[in-house]
Amino acid sequence: MTKENLTTSPQEAASRLLDGDLQLEHSSEGQVDTEKFARYAQIGDVMREAQSGGISIDITASVASALENEPCHSMANEAATLDEQHDNGTKVVKLSAWRKPLSQVAIAASVALVAVLGVNTMPQQNGPAIDEMPVLQSRPLAGGVAPVSFSSEQPALQNAEQGLRDLQQQRIGALVLEHQRQSRVAYALQQKQKAANQQSEEKK
Amino acid sequence: MRLLACILGLFLATTVHANDVVSAKQLLKNMATAVHTRNFDASFVVLKGKGMEPYRWVHAKYQGKELELLSLLNGAGLEIVRVDDLVTYYEPQSAPYSVKTDSIAGPIPEVLFKGVEALLDHYDFVLGGKGRIAGRPAQLVRVEAKDDTKYNYWLWIDTQSSLLLKAAYVNQQGELLEQLQLTHISVTPEPAEQILELAQREFPAPLPALKLNKDETVQSNWQIGWLPEGFKLLKSDRHKLDLNNELADYYLFSDGLVDISVFVQRPLPGQRPSGALSSGATTVYVHNSGAYDVSVVGNIPAVTAKNIAESVKRPL
Repeated sequence: MTKENLTTSPQEAASRLLDGDLQLEHSSEGQVDTEKFARYAQIGDVMREAQSGGISIDITASVASALENEPCHSMANEAATLDEQHDNGTKVVKLSAWRKPLSQVAIAASVALVAVLGVNTMPQQNGPAIDEMPVLQSRPLAGGVAPVSFSSEQPALQNAEQGLRDLQQQRIGALVLEHQRQSRVAYALQQKQKAANQQSEEKK
Repeated sequence: MRLLACILGLFLATTVHANDVVSAKQLLKNMATAVHTRNFDASFVVLKGKGMEPYRWVHAKYQGKELELLSLLNGAGLEIVRVDDLVTYYEPQSAPYSVKTDSIAGPIPEVLFKGVEALLDHYDFVLGGKGRIAGRPAQLVRVEAKDDTKYNYWLWIDTQSSLLLKAAYVNQQGELLEQLQLTHISVTPEPAEQILELAQREFPAPLPALKLNKDETVQSNWQIGWLPEGFKLLKSDRHKLDLNNELADYYLFSDGLVDISVFVQRPLPGQRPSGALSSGATTVYVHNSGAYDVSVVGNIPAVTAKNIAESVKRPL
């Protein structure tokens, strides 16, 4: 039996050990490749979900040896390209550094533009843009408010709204005309005021 | 050596700048003189946004009298006649009336034909480039506002005759908002036959002498908290508007170049948003403040009009 045991391959021994067929003792220990045994045990643990805290496989040794075996690449070239890449890198950083505020300004400007457009166009939807005086004067001014229809509520509301809009339009027309009329005397008034100021100064 | 050059450069720069101001001012003065002394017959158009207004402008000096005619050629029309210092307005809807003043209040600010020095407190005169306008060599003179609450006014002046060839309201971004462009001008040694008829025409008696009408009660009705630099109150009263018979507390302000009207009125029914309307350089801002409506009209940026309208409060 023991003889048989001795002749069996290390894999078989390990397998039997894990299955509990073989007692762990000095004799069996000698037959087993300890590294392989450890790995098998770990695999088993993982499959039974007994392992907690992650798998720990020690690969530092193999990595170190692999690195040692790695042939040395031409260092000079590499250093140059590295430098270049570094340079490019700084350029990109610089560009974006001054681009960023610029783009922010552009965004701010476009927002402001939208806001201004908003202010300008919003009321224009309510009433068509007033043209200057001649158009206002030629517009029929009597009967601005349309009669409210009794037939149903909807047209009545619409008419009322239309009436309001007309009222506002009419008012704006009146304001612009009044401004133009008044500014005709503005210059004369200004001259008068200046003269009056001069007189009062002379009196003093 | 370098210091010397620096000082010399600085000195030269300042003298050049001073010359610049003087010559820009001188050009404006020459223009004012030319407009008042030459016999000319001109046509110009005013471009306001999408609208356009064609005018004819005739001026003559005849037997010691100054005759000037400005007429709007489209639509119902408008005719303004000036004989020396009597200006008569003929409008389609109202009876003609006369005002005792020495310049026509047309599309060009009157101050530019008179004392431009008055503007120097709030505007800079800057020489611009040369160009060709209406077939004649022209020099640009920019009247630039000292702060950005106002528009700038640019004038292109004929380098030979000193007459105005083009003018524009320009915003702070350099966009031409409202342009006045001569399409034709003929300067003649003798006045045109057509305008001599004006010398014989009968005019309505001028309006009763303009009072510096500043109604104290109206002034105390409202507080106008903010105005752009340089604007002074010329007039305040309460009157009914011609077109819709609405009552309004009215204030007229001017900085010499542009006029601003402020109206405080009873609010219209319904919820209406405050907002601006503009046509060319003219802005109308209607501010709905609940108990009353404030409207501001004038050749000013919308933001300025908004700030004025929102600053109007009841006195505490």
